[in-house]
Amino acid sequence: MDLKTLKDRIESIQTLATIPAVAKHVLELLGDPTVSLAEISRFISQDPVLTSRVLRMVNSPIYGFPGRISSVNQAVLLLGLNVVRGLLFGVTVFDLMQQTMIGLWEHSMGCAILSRLMAAKKGLKDPEEASIHGLLHDIGKVVLVLKFPDEYEKVMGEAREKDLTVYEVEAGYFSTTHATVGAWVAEQWRFPKPLIDVIQYHHKPHLSKVAPMETAIVHFADVLLRGRGFGFAGDSTVPPLHPSSWELVGLSEPDIKSILGEAEDLLEEAADLSL
Amino acid sequence: MKISAKNITPGMKLERPVLNKNGLMMIGADTELTGILVEKIQKMDVQVIHVHGPCKALPPLDEELARLEGRFRNVETAPHMDVLKKLLREHIEGLYEAHGSENPER
Repeated sequence: MDLKTLKDRIESIQTLATIPAVAKHVLELLGDPTVSLAEISRFISQDPVLTSRVLRMVNSPIYGFPGRISSVNQAVLLLGLNVVRGLLFGVTVFDLMQQTMIGLWEHSMGCAILSRLMAAKKGLKDPEEASIHGLLHDIGKVVLVLKFPDEYEKVMGEAREKDLTVYEVEAGYFSTTHATVGAWVAEQWRFPKPLIDVIQYHHKPHLSKVAPMETAIVHFADVLLRGRGFGFAGDSTVPPLHPSSWELVGLSEPDIKSILGEAEDLLEEAADLSL
Repeated sequence: MKISAKNITPGMKLERPVLNKNGLMMIGADTELTGILVEKIQKMDVQVIHVHGPCKALPPLDEELARLEGRFRNVETAPHMDVLKKLLREHIEGLYEAHGSENPER
């Protein structure tokens, strides 16, 4: 498939019958650059299912807030616009991930947790944003499986046979990879710029211009999580860590061990999280 | 060992991958089943599941370490990966020590 055909077909993703109505509304709402926190809060509160999912997500190890957050207003005020947008995207893709690849939701949550712990260890200002970056970095896989289930099945089969990662095999089928496809969708859905960069470059973190540190963190978290053997992202081996990310993230060995230790219980807890 | 999909429980570990009816691998071999995975497998059109048995909450340490080696098989010579693997090995060994035995029940 050539790149243009692929892009055209990917960009019509919102017309897919499999995307639930509420997700379409969320995407529409979040696509409006002038949307306010109050509007988002009202939108969530009107829908009891969405409300309960948002609260379950906010109180999950993905975010790691101490104490319970019990209302949507409180969540929205505490988290701010960017994080709430990410949270809503996360809740929205949950269904899609469950439909597409078993284990991908766990992989995404695991990445969210490790990315947040790394960002916190680095003293970054908003570790919750790193959670969202980790949670959504593989959105391109979701879209590819939804749109092209047969082809993606072949990608996974070939990866298994040749002992490669799906990332290495994808280009042979789609002219590009889930990273680029994810970035297209992220742009179309008006994700924040740093998030688009993370999605686009999470396998080539040295190319990130807008969010090099955030991208390096998610790349590092992805490698470490696969090393730990948690979740399933379409293949069974650990990809190499790009040396630039090792330098940029700059965690010491004791730092990494402490992150692994802290993550262990959170991962176990997350494995039981359903929205 | 082979067991019926309706009898699987969280904590069991897959001996072979779970495939859907098209042969797409849905869950990889050696995945530990969680409540969510059990539910998902039971909703799928799958009759028989291969799990490691007799089932313990944590598999023997040497198996777990062998799987770690397996996951890193393609990146042995890549920079820093030896360090990451070493840290993961120490981390996993630490989990077993914390439980006070090589094969504890959780």
